[in-house]
Amino acid sequence: MIAMFRPAPLALTIAAVLSTGCASTQSESAASQPATKATVVEHYASLAHAGYEDALITAKTLDEATDRLIANPTAANLQAAKEAWLAARVPYQQTEVFRFGNAIVDDWEGQLNAWPLDEGLIDYVQADDYQYELGNAGATANIIGSTSVNVGGETLDVKNLTPELLANLNEIGGSEANVATGYHAIEFLLWGQDLHGFEAGSGERPVSDYAKGADCTNGNCGRRGEYLDAVTDLLVSDLEWMVAQWAPEASDNYRSQLMAADANEGVQKMLFGMGSLSLGELAGERMKVALEANSYEDEHDCFSDNTHNSHYYNGQGIQNVYTGNYRRVDGSLVSGPSLSALVAQTNPELDARLNAQLEASMEALGVMKAKAESNQNPMPFDMMIAPGNAKGASIVNGAIMALVEQTGSIEQAARQLGLEALSPDDAGHAF
Amino acid sequence: MTRLTLAIFLASSLAASPLMAANANNTDTPTAEYRKQWHSDILTGYQNLAAQSQALATQATTYCQAPSSEGFEQTQQAWLEAFLAWQQVRFVDFGPVEQGNRAWQFQFWPDPKNLVARKASHLLKGDTPITPEKVSESGVAVQGFPMAEYLLYDQAFNNGEEALPTGRSCKLLVAVTRHIAGNGQSLANDWKGFQSNYLGSHQYTDTTIRSAMAGLEILEERRLATPMGLRGNGKRSVYAADAWRSEASLAAIDASVRGLKQSFLPAFSKLLNDREQTELAEQIEQGFNEVLANFPELDRPMAPLLADDNAYKMLQSLYIDVTQLTSLVNDRAAVELGVVRGFNSSDGD
Repeated sequence: MIAMFRPAPLALTIAAVLSTGCASTQSESAASQPATKATVVEHYASLAHAGYEDALITAKTLDEATDRLIANPTAANLQAAKEAWLAARVPYQQTEVFRFGNAIVDDWEGQLNAWPLDEGLIDYVQADDYQYELGNAGATANIIGSTSVNVGGETLDVKNLTPELLANLNEIGGSEANVATGYHAIEFLLWGQDLHGFEAGSGERPVSDYAKGADCTNGNCGRRGEYLDAVTDLLVSDLEWMVAQWAPEASDNYRSQLMAADANEGVQKMLFGMGSLSLGELAGERMKVALEANSYEDEHDCFSDNTHNSHYYNGQGIQNVYTGNYRRVDGSLVSGPSLSALVAQTNPELDARLNAQLEASMEALGVMKAKAESNQNPMPFDMMIAPGNAKGASIVNGAIMALVEQTGSIEQAARQLGLEALSPDDAGHAF
Repeated sequence: MTRLTLAIFLASSLAASPLMAANANNTDTPTAEYRKQWHSDILTGYQNLAAQSQALATQATTYCQAPSSEGFEQTQQAWLEAFLAWQQVRFVDFGPVEQGNRAWQFQFWPDPKNLVARKASHLLKGDTPITPEKVSESGVAVQGFPMAEYLLYDQAFNNGEEALPTGRSCKLLVAVTRHIAGNGQSLANDWKGFQSNYLGSHQYTDTTIRSAMAGLEILEERRLATPMGLRGNGKRSVYAADAWRSEASLAAIDASVRGLKQSFLPAFSKLLNDREQTELAEQIEQGFNEVLANFPELDRPMAPLLADDNAYKMLQSLYIDVTQLTSLVNDRAAVELGVVRGFNSSDGD
């Protein structure tokens, strides 16, 4: 803990050494390309492409693992499916930085990563420990439990659980908490409700929830398997679509539009994505709300208690966009013309500071990850935010403060590069 | 959903503003005059909040000592007055209100997962004594106006076994209202102590203008457009508004706009006039008056207005007036004055 609050000059030194060390490992030819706004934006698209490709690769592994679980519901296959889910989150969370600023991602991602969700829409829940969104008519619809559901007076045929049907059920009845698809729906189907509150332990869905015949627990095991099958298939096809949007050498995808536009626009998207994820989303919505309200309902990965990793890899994604480096799931390094190099051309001091702050954030998020995964007395995120847990609160606050600090420098970097307006377009003013 | 009340201070976003004069820390420079007036006008608002909060705590104590239906109504009324006093100064998102998340302590919102009800049920069912310390360590969902509102107004709760004035719910009501009163008093005192800092830093001119801009944007987008179904998935829902339990969502908007008019507009108008933006200053004053002309007629529950297309038109005219005011302040005046908005806590989902 002391390390997190050490004086800034020391943090600067250490982080500068770290980033120098990192840079020296770059050997790919792309790295030798001079950084201009155009090359930096082109490389940004390559980072996104590599990230979504990794998300797709790991989602396919997840899909195969869940297929095995459905065909042969053993404890080992459930465990393997959970591990595949955890592995799939590593690259995906690093792509969230592409959401803000790129409407094509933001409009699409709800189907993959919407949260928080009212899980009673999907399957059985223990009613007395289930708090759903106020006014959500679909919060207890239980799609797995019946072949037709009624949401706010509308009756829907849900007999055939296809990917298309599930995609259309998102936000049914006009509630954002009605999330039928994506990582968190899959997480719920693998782990089940976390009934432990602030205590140790995550969801404990028995593998017999997928058993055949008389061994089936909690009913509708066949439909539960069909649901899991459809929702993992949908995840794969959604990611395939996004990979294609960022693929190089296409003339009709998002990348081609981005490259055809003014490079300033692309740079603005990069900085806007970094700043929005740092401050409003990660520091604010995902950590500060949960901490200050002591609310495990606001925990990001609440079924699996994997929240620390979601936060950690979000932070990593922010750093990737600035440094231009991305460590792929196969261990190879993607590198190229970076925002960092661009800022350093005119303000090396600001570049060094922002690099140091990004390192400091990763260190603070690393403390959170290490504590959550510790062999001795692990403290996952839902325990950190418990009332009266001073140590947990200081870990979470350390990460929040580090993210807040880096956001200040991200704004300065935007000004340094001649971009004044980082606020989102006020499209909402039209009526 | 993003809570726009999240106050994260970004020192760097205050730098390099045209409103910053060259010699910092000199209270004699022109912009200090505006801040002097803002400081005084906001202090008036904070002192009113302190007084109304104290009155609420006193009334809650009186009621719980000798419960009566009349006392219950008086407590509801005291809650409403204190809550509206908070609405008047809610736009101030910098300075002492940032300490210890006071803004969230006063009003944790939005609360889509109904955390207030969950926390209340948890506290009331347990057998740990409900003390000031317990409230202090129970998180922002317990510590403010929404919790007191839940105890005083929630229909399901009031029909249940734990309804006021049962022992534990009364203890919670008294502890929460005293917590609010303590925060109200500290905030007013700390704002006084903040004076020299505030007057001495040119940056706070931009900060104050930005706080009003954010206050208007929250009002337009989150407090009106969202419950009206004009955003996101298009569903009208009173639960997206604040203070739906007490049916004071619209009265709270009235109070927030009045608060901006009283505590922000005087110095802001002067600033605009000094910059020879006389016409714009007049338009903005007119904009405030047009929003406020919707009241007191619109001081009524929002839910029936959402349910009836004809009545909904009243909300639409309020919304149009609010968007026009927001546009004048956040677009036109901000551009004229060179106030740049940086990242803020609303840049999320």
